[in-house]
Formats: sequence, structure tokens, C-alpha cells
Amino acid sequence: MKSNASDLSTSAFMLERSSPRVAAPPGYWRIAWQSPRGNACSLLIERRSLVVSTGLFVALLCVCVLYLGLGSMALAPSAVIPALFGAGEMISVFTVQELRLPRLAAACLTGGAFALAGVLMQTLARNRLATPGIIGIDNGATAFAVASIVNVGVSIAPPAMALVGAATAAALTFGLVAGGGTQGYRFIVAGFGVGAVFGALTQLMLARVAIDVANAAYPWTVGSLNARHDNAVGLLAIGLTVGIVAAGFVARPLSLMRFKDATAYGLGINVKAWRFQVLMLSVVLTALAVAVAGPVGMVGLIGPEIARSLSSSRQVPFVASLLSGALVMVLADLAGRTLLAPIEIPVGIVIAVIGGPWLLWILMRPQRSHA
Amino acid sequence: MPICVANPRTQMPLLLTALVAVSLVSLLIGAGDVGPLRALTALGGSQDSDASFVVWQLRAPRTLIGIIVGMALGVAGALLQAVSRNPLAEPGLLGVSAGAAFAVAIALVMGASAATLRISVAQLGALIGCVCVLSVTRVRGVGSDPVRLVLAGAAFSGLLGSLTSLMLLFDQRVADEIRFWVIGSLAGRRLDDVVALLPSLLIAAVAVALIARPLSALALGERAASGLGHHPGLIRWCVVACVAVLVGAATAIAGPIAFIGLVVPFAARAMAGPDIRHTLWFCLPIGPLMVLSADIIARVVVAPSELPIGVLTALCGAPVLVAVVRARRLPTL
Repeated sequence: MKSNASDLSTSAFMLERSSPRVAAPPGYWRIAWQSPRGNACSLLIERRSLVVSTGLFVALLCVCVLYLGLGSMALAPSAVIPALFGAGEMISVFTVQELRLPRLAAACLTGGAFALAGVLMQTLARNRLATPGIIGIDNGATAFAVASIVNVGVSIAPPAMALVGAATAAALTFGLVAGGGTQGYRFIVAGFGVGAVFGALTQLMLARVAIDVANAAYPWTVGSLNARHDNAVGLLAIGLTVGIVAAGFVARPLSLMRFKDATAYGLGINVKAWRFQVLMLSVVLTALAVAVAGPVGMVGLIGPEIARSLSSSRQVPFVASLLSGALVMVLADLAGRTLLAPIEIPVGIVIAVIGGPWLLWILMRPQRSHA
Repeated sequence: MPICVANPRTQMPLLLTALVAVSLVSLLIGAGDVGPLRALTALGGSQDSDASFVVWQLRAPRTLIGIIVGMALGVAGALLQAVSRNPLAEPGLLGVSAGAAFAVAIALVMGASAATLRISVAQLGALIGCVCVLSVTRVRGVGSDPVRLVLAGAAFSGLLGSLTSLMLLFDQRVADEIRFWVIGSLAGRRLDDVVALLPSLLIAAVAVALIARPLSALALGERAASGLGHHPGLIRWCVVACVAVLVGAATAIAGPIAFIGLVVPFAARAMAGPDIRHTLWFCLPIGPLMVLSADIIARVVVAPSELPIGVLTALCGAPVLVAVVRARRLPTL
């Protein structure tokens, strides 16, 4: 029996190898090569997503150089790049490496994590508005982080508490709409209600404590890159790396789960199991990002929107979302730092000012058949 | 007047009694160290100058303002729900209150600070917010989906809120003046503010009494209303103006308080049935009842300090919102 099967596969292989050169489907590049053992290998690369991702990456690099250069001490790009590697004047090396680089890294990581979490959850819920920020996960994480600050003082605890809060809020929202499915606006409004409750709890805790403790918790309520903890950033970096790898694994099932549940089951996807895993991934990414930057979950709406409008709809645009989320976050923080120079606008406010009209525009647009 | 013909014989006296009781409790209980007994003797006219100051100068205006704000927000919510035919339409959720708050913040940044100016400015801002909201309900596909409208309102008020906090970054004086007001609170308001509100509230009350009948005809649909001799467009504009005046006044004095305009008409409809003429009457006692109860809890729960009332209304109102949304079939108006 066994040999029979291997015979079959070998013969299929022979057939493949002997067939004339396979043409790539339109819109794809096909890379074919011979493996050392003499097998023919090929890889299909979607042309548009590659171009879009490369373009976004280049744009992100340019914006990063700008970000490192602009500020109260402006540096030309020709000074920034050597300073990045430790050459040039001491003061510019210090500014770039010690002051601006950690903040830039935090901005890139949080933007990428929010956008990746957003695209995962939107695909999962088949609802382009299902960002962690809108369905209340943000507020849950904030409430728990504030609780930790208010009660036990600043430590490693807020990030961990943010994780717990995000999981609680997600469980509540998904539990509340259990019968109705995650499609449609009811899901979103239920999440909005959960978020309102957690927002009120945050206010309640802030009202109970002394003013300086409340001030320490302030960045958590608007979203800012000022009050980041180094170990939270490190945790986020690890989490995002794991998240990207995991996203690579869930990419195929997730792109099939965009169809109806019945279709996905028919194509061999265990929808329930994958749904839980993807949801957990999205919640963990959001929580880690909130632990660094506070509630700026609107990035999770803007990033995937940009990525979707640029990429083709053949696959879920993970990479493009990640990059455009980072791009948006870096740009927003740059604007917040430089626009009103002596005053710094918290990045959460910049994002809300951009994201609010965007969300309204999505809502007001005449509905297409399937988003 | 054929307006008050529900079955108010049983429920209305009960509601009014409850309102009187809650007002009394609101006079007796507070965050300070004047306990219920001292307050009671002060009410009876004792010589305890501290207690009588607290009761008459602090708690009485506060109770009065709570009653006015509750009535205004409840009626405004019922009107807005009737005219947008949407059970989730609420001045706070849809951004009308945020419009008022934003307008006040702009006026303060420009250098204004007089109480009367603040009220008219808040009403203007509420008017603009209201017009935005109702023009949105006319967009095809959005108006017919109640839940989508709420989401649009949340986005709108989120935008206005972040613009407000952006302005506060510039101006420390304004930030100090507006910081506590933005959250919504009944504390520290004076009777002068109430007096300044009264004319516009009276005008709104007369207008609401006049449009209640056409509005209940509008519930049958625009064609039926036209057939009965009413002008749907005119009614709609009158309602917008009334809502703007009421919400603007309430916001000017107490800050943006969300969810009252959702819960109160909900309860009123449950008691009075679908006719807007009866619902409006029931909103009048239920609104103050809710605002005062929330305010009392806000005073007690974190004594000796106080909680902003907006926090409590959100804690009570958001579960109602979720429950309404969860219902398999949304109630239609």
C-alpha cells in the first residue's frame, strides 16, 4: 500500500516535470528553480503586493530619516545617517541615538502591531470597521493599566494588566454578541458599549486618586509615546516578531475564511479553531501595543484601509498593513512633535483627528455589496 | 388639550412621588460632613448656619439644576428618536452634546467667559451638531440602519472631543476653566446660571407643546402626515431647533452627559406606549429622576470627593445600549 502511494506521487511528479513550462497566472511572477536534489520548485509571487510592500517600505525608511532629523534640533539627512552609525558630532549622535531612535522604534512597533491586529480582526469578523479600538479592547486595556498604576505604582505591571484588560474586553464583546454573529454594525456597537463602560471605570479610578497619581496615568488615557517603558517596548518587539511569524501561518486559512463559514469548512478549514487563535493573536498584539503607547487603536483602522486600497483583493494584505500602520504612526508622531513646536501634541490626539473623519467617510459612503 | 390621555392615573402619581422623594434625598445627602439629620433640621429652619448654607446654597441649586437638565435631556432624546425614527438616537451619542462642548471651547479660547454668552454659544453648537446628525440620517442606507447611525455619531463626537482637547493644549487658562466641565457635573453651579437658562427653556417648552401633535402624525410616515395636513419638513426643522435649544442649555450648565437621552425615552415608551405625546409627558419626571439618582450616587460613592455624573450615566446607560443592540429585532419607531 505504502509503495503504491509513493509510486503514485512519483508518477504525478514525473508528469509535472515532463509537462511543458507552466505559465504564471496573470498578476503573478513565477520563480522556478531546480533544488539540489533535482526537483523542480516554483514560487508564485503576487506582483502588486510585492510592489506595494516595497513602495511602503521605502516610504517608511524615508519618513524614518525625516523623523530622526526633525525636531527642536534639526539635522539634515546627510548628518542623520552617519550619526545613526555613531559618526559625526557628539551632540547629533546623542540626539539621534539616545533621544529619537528609541521613540522611533516604539512608534514603528506600535503602529505595526495595531495595524496587524486590526487587519486580523477585520478579516476574522468580515467587517472592515472591527478595529480593536472601536470594539472596546483599547478601553479595557487602558482601564486595567490605570488600575495598576493607581494601586501599586509604576512598574512592569501596567503592560501585564493591559493584556488582561484587553482579553477581558474582547471576551465581553464577543460573548455579548454570541448569537448574532460578528458581522454587521451590532457587533461594533456592542463593543462600543463595552468600551464606554471601561472608559467610565477609568474615569472613576482617576477621580478617586490624588492629582499627581492621576497625572501619571494621563498618558494612558489619550495615547502618547512620551511615557513608554523600555521593557514594554522590548516585550512588544518580541510579541510583534512572534505575531508576524504567526500571521504567516494563519495567512492561508484566514484568506479562505473571508468566504462564508460553510465554504471555509468545505475547503478544509477548521473555522472555529482558527477563529479562536486569530482572535487571541489580535488581542495580544493590541494589548502589547496599548501597553507601550496607550489607546491609539485608530491606527488599526487607518493602516489596513490604506493597505487594502493599494493592494489587490487576492489575499489578506498583512505586510502592507503592517508597513502602512507603522508609516501612519511615525508620521502622526512627527506631526505631533513638530507642528506646534514648543507644545507637543500627544500622538493619540493626532491619530484621532485624522481617523475620525476617515471613519465617518467610510460610514457615509454608499454601501457596496461586500466590503 | 388631548395630550395627556394615557393611563397616567396609576403611573404618573407614582413617578411624581418618586421624584419628590429623590429631590429630598438629594437635599439631605452629600459628600461633605453635613449629615442627613443636620440637613433635615436646617430644612426645618434651625440656627445651624453651616448646615443651612450647605443645604440652601449648595444642594438646592444643584437639585434644581439636576431636575432641569434631566427634563431637557429626556425630552430632547425623545424628540430626536421620534424625528430620526431611530430608537438609538441620543444627543450624547450622536454628537449633539459634543458639538455644544466644542462650540463652548472655541468661545472660551476666543476670550469669552460670560455665563449668558456660554449658553447661546452652546445652543448654536448643538444646532450645528444636530443639523449634521439629521442630514446624515437622510443619507441613503445610513438613516435606515440605527446601529450604523450610532457609530457615525460616535466617530463624530470622538473627532470633536479630540479637537477640543487639542485646543486645550494651547491655552492653559481655558484648559483650567473647561477641564471639569467637559466631563459633565452638576457640582458648583449657581442659581444665576439657571435664571439665564429659563427664557430659552420656556420657548422650547411652548414649541414642543405645539409640535407634539404633528410629530405623532409624522410617526405614521411622511405621506400620511402630509395627508393629515402637516408639513413634515417644517416639523423636522422645529424639532431640530427644540433639540438644539434643550441640549445646548443642558450642556451649557452641566457639561455633556451621555446616555440620559437614550434611557429616559426608553423607559417612558415602556410605560406610556408608542404615542410621542404620552412619551413626552412621561419623560418629564423620569429624566430628573435618573439625573438626580445618578448625582446622589456620584456624591456618595467616593466621598469625601465626588465623581463626575457623566461617569455614572455611562455606567448605567452603556449596558442598556448593549441590551437594545443585542435584541434580535431592533424596535422600530
